[in-house]
Amino acid sequence: MAPRSDPQKLLRQVMARFVREEVAPVARQVDESGRFPRELFVKLAQMHAFGLRYPVKNGGAGGNATLYCIMCEELAQGLLSLAAIAAKQCLMATNFLHRFADQEMRQRYFLPALRGELVGSFCLTEPEAGGDLGRVSTTAVKDGDGWVVSGMKTWITNAPVADFFTVLCQTDPEQGIRGLNFFFVPRGTPGVQVSPGFQTLGTRSTEISEVAFNDCRIPARFLLGQEGKGLGALLAILAEIRAMTAALALGLAKAAYQAGFQYAKERSAFGKTINQYQLIQSKIARLATDIWAAELMLYDTTAKIDAGQRPSKESMMVKYFATEVACRACDEATRILGAYGYSMEYPVQRYFRDARFLLYGGGTHEVLQTNIARELGF
Amino acid sequence: MPGQPDSPLCVAVLVKQVPDSAEIKMDPRTGTLIREGVPAVMNPDDRLGLETALALKDSLGALVTALSMGPIQAVDVLSEALAMGADRGVLLSDRNFAGADTWATSFTLGRALERLMSQGPLDLVICGRQASDGDTAQIGPQVAEHLGWPQVTYVERLEVEGRELRAWRRLPGLVQKVLCPLPAVVTVLATPQAPRWPLVDRLLWACREAAPLEVWDAADIEAPAARTGLKGSLTRVVKTFSPKGQRVTQWLEGTAAEQSQALLAELRGHKLI
Repeated sequence: MAPRSDPQKLLRQVMARFVREEVAPVARQVDESGRFPRELFVKLAQMHAFGLRYPVKNGGAGGNATLYCIMCEELAQGLLSLAAIAAKQCLMATNFLHRFADQEMRQRYFLPALRGELVGSFCLTEPEAGGDLGRVSTTAVKDGDGWVVSGMKTWITNAPVADFFTVLCQTDPEQGIRGLNFFFVPRGTPGVQVSPGFQTLGTRSTEISEVAFNDCRIPARFLLGQEGKGLGALLAILAEIRAMTAALALGLAKAAYQAGFQYAKERSAFGKTINQYQLIQSKIARLATDIWAAELMLYDTTAKIDAGQRPSKESMMVKYFATEVACRACDEATRILGAYGYSMEYPVQRYFRDARFLLYGGGTHEVLQTNIARELGF
Repeated sequence: MPGQPDSPLCVAVLVKQVPDSAEIKMDPRTGTLIREGVPAVMNPDDRLGLETALALKDSLGALVTALSMGPIQAVDVLSEALAMGADRGVLLSDRNFAGADTWATSFTLGRALERLMSQGPLDLVICGRQASDGDTAQIGPQVAEHLGWPQVTYVERLEVEGRELRAWRRLPGLVQKVLCPLPAVVTVLATPQAPRWPLVDRLLWACREAAPLEVWDAADIEAPAARTGLKGSLTRVVKTFSPKGQRVTQWLEGTAAEQSQALLAELRGHKLI
């Protein structure tokens, strides 16, 4: 047989070129607009990127968690908000439809979402419930041959532009987290109310808002999965969500590192380029080491996911570690650039602002550290 | 049969793997290209050639074969070509092909095209204008000579109707429209649409066992060792280096009028105006 290309290497190369040619030239403009980057979103859809991790027989590309994270990492090097939007469309926004939707829903929502014709969103967080899923208060109550969804969700990425929502609801408060279930709610359902977008520090073109479900009546088939199995369905992808967040962090860290590295080789002070000063060398060496470690952790974790395991502890560790590396890399890059790191003319300030976005999705680091310690039996 | 109105147009596109020019640097000490660690990518002009062929696939249902000569790793550009929409990829790889200049390369490519023709019809060969690592722009014309086919170079737009192609050639200061019978060889320097992006699903498919990729060696194309690679080359690259240039700053003094006059004299002296 003729030799075959390594899909990981090839995908990384194609996505890196996409970032260089399509994303980087408009990244500043998209960020400043504060609007959903529809044009780039459609271009990614036209590349069939949103089906990356779904099987070929279901309209996907037949990829896996490793390939998915490679794509997220590369996109994050160009524009974190675009990477986050694509990541969501590939996973949280479409995963439950892929697993549980009937044929009609697949044709009407899932496949158009892969084609970029519809934007999906994932509603988990509530004003009083984030990492603590036991406090989810949005309810779904059986009513005749359907369900009625009521409650408030917040910090919902893509909500202002979403065409449908996957909503975590409590169907039996007495069961606690075992009463959690996912429901499919199209945006046009009477009672769905989306607030204006939040003003945020970073990832400004990722539109985020609240979504209120005011007695939204939906048919019985919009319950995604078997009743009482919602938590299990979430746990099935939780490690991948955290690995994906780590991939976004890794991409951002690399972008910040590269910016600092390049600038240090060009900028002169006191008669020599600043890369010749040991304090700058120390920053670069430490960041390169951290980035390498994050990369090894990430792709070790995704290899476990691809092998059918659920590396819960590892995924929390890498999400926590890679995000801290990203925050540090962005901070150090702004220091290496000096006042230019403070200027809106350079992308480093955007990296610095965007890094904060990663601290919350997939679990705050305070919650994650507690959970890691618990998994260690501490 | 080739030329029959009901058979699809069969197009071969020549693609080359080159160092990524966005990443390439010169070693200031030795003046040579630093190739180590530089990713290898599809030659940008060949991407235009592929886009031209795939546009013919869109409009006429053309069958597109991507053909490349290089080490085994060059299979990556063929995988990318499949991901963009090519139907088949053929890699010419053999130790005897190494070190070829354009003469030996076009001989080897020509033999491979003849083998393609022994397997089925071939109506059109499309090449990028030139490779970014060699800049010779010789392969297309030399392949045309080898095949004895007409050639149309520097094409920015292409249409095929029946057994004839219409091509718009971009020349300095003008565009020339030419008609040419098929079969023919075309070299491309631009396309009406930007080259399409590879599709992610096709990209993964191209990496699987079932992908329509083949490797042909010297025996497959009956290419004698004396006609290929370094042995079959008429030229040798002796050295690659950056030309050394040095800036000299010259201060002009006096009044503004005197400085202007001095500047004019300098420019005239260097025959710049």
